[in-house]
Amino acid sequence: MIIEERNSTHVYKQLRMLSKEELEQLEGRCVHEQPAYCVAACPLKLDAKALVQAVSQGDFDGARKLYEKIAPFPHILSAGCDAPCGAKCKLAGLGDAVEIRALERAAMAYGQRGKARGILRMKKRKTAAVFGSGLYSFFLAGELNKKAYPVTVFCQEPDLEAYISAEAGFAPAEALAADAALLRETDIVFRFGAGLDRDLVEAQREKFDVLCLSPALYSSLYPAGKAEEALQYDRENRLVTGRPRGVTESAFCAKKAALTVDRLAQNLDPGNTRGEEGPVETRLYTDTSGATALTRVPCQGDYTREEAVQEARRCIQCRCDECIKGCAYLQHYHKFPRVLTREIYNNVSIIMGDHMMNKPINACSLCGQCSVTCPNGYDMGEICHLARQNMVATDKMPLAPHEFALMDMLFSNNEAFLCRPQPGYEACKYVFFPGCQAAAIAPETVKAAYLDLCRRLDGGVALLLGCCGAICDWAGRYELAGQTKDFLDRELAKLGDPVVIAGCPSCKKQLSGHEGLEIVGIWDVLLHLGLPEGAHGLERPAALHDSCGARGDAGTQEAIRSLAKALGVELVDTPYSGDRSPCCGYGGLTAYANREVAGEMTAKCLERSDAAYISYCMACRDRFARQGRESRHILELVYGTDAGAPPDISQKRYNRLTLKKELLWELWQEETKEMKLDFDLRFTKEALRLMDERMILKDDVIAVLEEQRQTGEAIYDADSGLTIARRRIGNATFWVKYTPLEGGGYLVHSAYSHRMQVERRQG
Amino acid sequence: MADKNYYTIDPLGKLRCVKCGVPLEKGKAKFLYLDNGFPVELPVCPVCGFVYVPEELALGKVLAVEKALEDK
Ligand code: SF4
Ligand code: SF4
Ligand code: SF4
Ligand SMILES: [Zn+2]
Repeated sequence: MIIEERNSTHVYKQLRMLSKEELEQLEGRCVHEQPAYCVAACPLKLDAKALVQAVSQGDFDGARKLYEKIAPFPHILSAGCDAPCGAKCKLAGLGDAVEIRALERAAMAYGQRGKARGILRMKKRKTAAVFGSGLYSFFLAGELNKKAYPVTVFCQEPDLEAYISAEAGFAPAEALAADAALLRETDIVFRFGAGLDRDLVEAQREKFDVLCLSPALYSSLYPAGKAEEALQYDRENRLVTGRPRGVTESAFCAKKAALTVDRLAQNLDPGNTRGEEGPVETRLYTDTSGATALTRVPCQGDYTREEAVQEARRCIQCRCDECIKGCAYLQHYHKFPRVLTREIYNNVSIIMGDHMMNKPINACSLCGQCSVTCPNGYDMGEICHLARQNMVATDKMPLAPHEFALMDMLFSNNEAFLCRPQPGYEACKYVFFPGCQAAAIAPETVKAAYLDLCRRLDGGVALLLGCCGAICDWAGRYELAGQTKDFLDRELAKLGDPVVIAGCPSCKKQLSGHEGLEIVGIWDVLLHLGLPEGAHGLERPAALHDSCGARGDAGTQEAIRSLAKALGVELVDTPYSGDRSPCCGYGGLTAYANREVAGEMTAKCLERSDAAYISYCMACRDRFARQGRESRHILELVYGTDAGAPPDISQKRYNRLTLKKELLWELWQEETKEMKLDFDLRFTKEALRLMDERMILKDDVIAVLEEQRQTGEAIYDADSGLTIARRRIGNATFWVKYTPLEGGGYLVHSAYSHRMQVERRQG
Repeated sequence: MADKNYYTIDPLGKLRCVKCGVPLEKGKAKFLYLDNGFPVELPVCPVCGFVYVPEELALGKVLAVEKALEDK
């Protein structure tokens, strides 16, 4: 059977994967881009997290630049700010909050002032007058100056020093002097010693476009005035003003007021399009287990540079990366689910052009670990699965990444398929379903398990050797998945719809999608029956790797642990076990579609412990063994079998066929036709290695050589001394390099394939 | 006739067609994949037309182009 390659890249069909609303709802679950607690709390929108990080790296210049961005007069502000950031700091719940305000002061003291602040900017044409002194009007004048409005200040103080200190008695002399120097650099015009009464204010309406009042003046001159707090605007009197209290609020209200001036100057309603102002709620989640320094660095007065750096290093740089910490795939692509989802969505939506995300879509193992590690249950696997189905539906899914796995599944459910009631029974109470990988990797163990179940269970145990359909489901081939499901249902019906005893948690999960089917794990049955003779554990302590197929299946996880205990295995604790377990790299067909990522997944599993690994999914067992780790399936321990070194892809097929043949003969006395080659065929070691790497089967090589024998077509390469034959099989052309053996045999040195077709061309 | 060839290999007399017993020659061929075609020059048997795709080419350039087309 051939799975048909899509014909055209230019398919105009489109299927919606998610609606825009569903997409937004999904993305909203990921809080990675939510602001840190300190940042969210700051009404002035200081990026406190970045400032603290800069200080922690000794970058006081960078820290100062961040602070200057939000404060026209940073020395006075940092001397008196109430620091709402500190109150919300994540560490405040565990110990002392990070001393953000002290770090701001350190940034101002030790950082160099950012240059190029005064690149000549065109002053705006509209003008503003600010009446009265105090923090609010002072900050407001500064904010307006930053916005390039020509500003004139009317105050009763006689000079700049007196004006600045009017409400800033809390600030040390150096801070006042430093901000006075900044003020002098501006081109704000001062009218000192002004007699501030209502007439003076009203008289300026002709000369200025916008009038702003200090809170004190507003209270005394317009006692009945009703300035809107959010806009800092008194509509009736057409005055920009408010009634803030304290340093931080004054600075915040001055910002709001400056924005109002901006709107008024453009003849807009001040309530128009203001964007987000002030502190916000954050939905961030942060794991605080890494927080170790919980007490602040003590300080007498101000921090020294070193002290500041030390204090800043206490900051844990709050962010959520729970998913990425556990998942090699997300680490590989350096992307958070929110971003990845958006990119995948866009990728799936484009009709023509490069589909940059095809690789990431096919590299996820669909294991669902993220849905557990994420505090909000973000399931990236579900999105990649949907995307695959969508690509299949729109004929945009390339066949190459999954073809081998799909063909292998078809092999499991055709040539290697076996479904029989226990000898002596017509209908059975149970059917053993070991799973395709178990038969491929550990046929002896499957056989031992089946014979044991037949011996110890009443009511008959049928055997079903085949694939549960997980493979085509993972590939997004939903039609094939539907056919496989129907096929299995028909086979199960023939057996009298017995209870399925699954040997693999992924099969168990996949089969649970069949209505009315009762499924148990073989581990449950074994716990009930007790261990068979010959069972024995490992002498060394071992790490238990939970299969991704058992995620959310507490019963299975528990049963395996009880079984390990009964076997006398001492289990070592590992991080990321149980529901949080990572995938070995086989899940979702990652091992076929993206070997590199699959390898990283395996490594991530193995980095959790140096011990031997016990698993209960044969694919996990296989992948760990391939990395040279002592790796055993729990059923190998139960039945005292050892599947040994991991088989290559051809051996995996051969194992399935041989198991079927042996069981057919031994239990049902049916003989299978022996397919014998009528020529001698040998492989160099290197050829076998290359074939496994390139996913070329011995059967493929045989097919090439059989054709060669008929047509005589081949070429001879004088350089290497090898003969080379080829054949188109399915969607690929296979090439075999060999030396002929005496008597018409072949010694194969290498094999390779390509999917492109090659033709002779005229002209 | 100056159509662009994406790839050219000259057999340099080292390759021989086993069936016809003649050396392969540089000849015109084309690759076809997913509705796309590329003219190339590969070692071809002048008698039977066998077109040879060497291992390095199959695993290098051909594979890269396949992947690029698959993601279109
Ligand atoms: S765990 Fe990952 S997906 Fe979940 S909120 Fe955090 S960053 Fe987003
Ligand atoms: S620990 Fe650092 S990032 Fe987190 S809230 Fe505190 S200062 Fe901000
Ligand atoms: S590999 Fe598993 S944990 Fe990682 S994104 Fe995919 S489903 Fe989530
Ligand atoms: Zn020829």
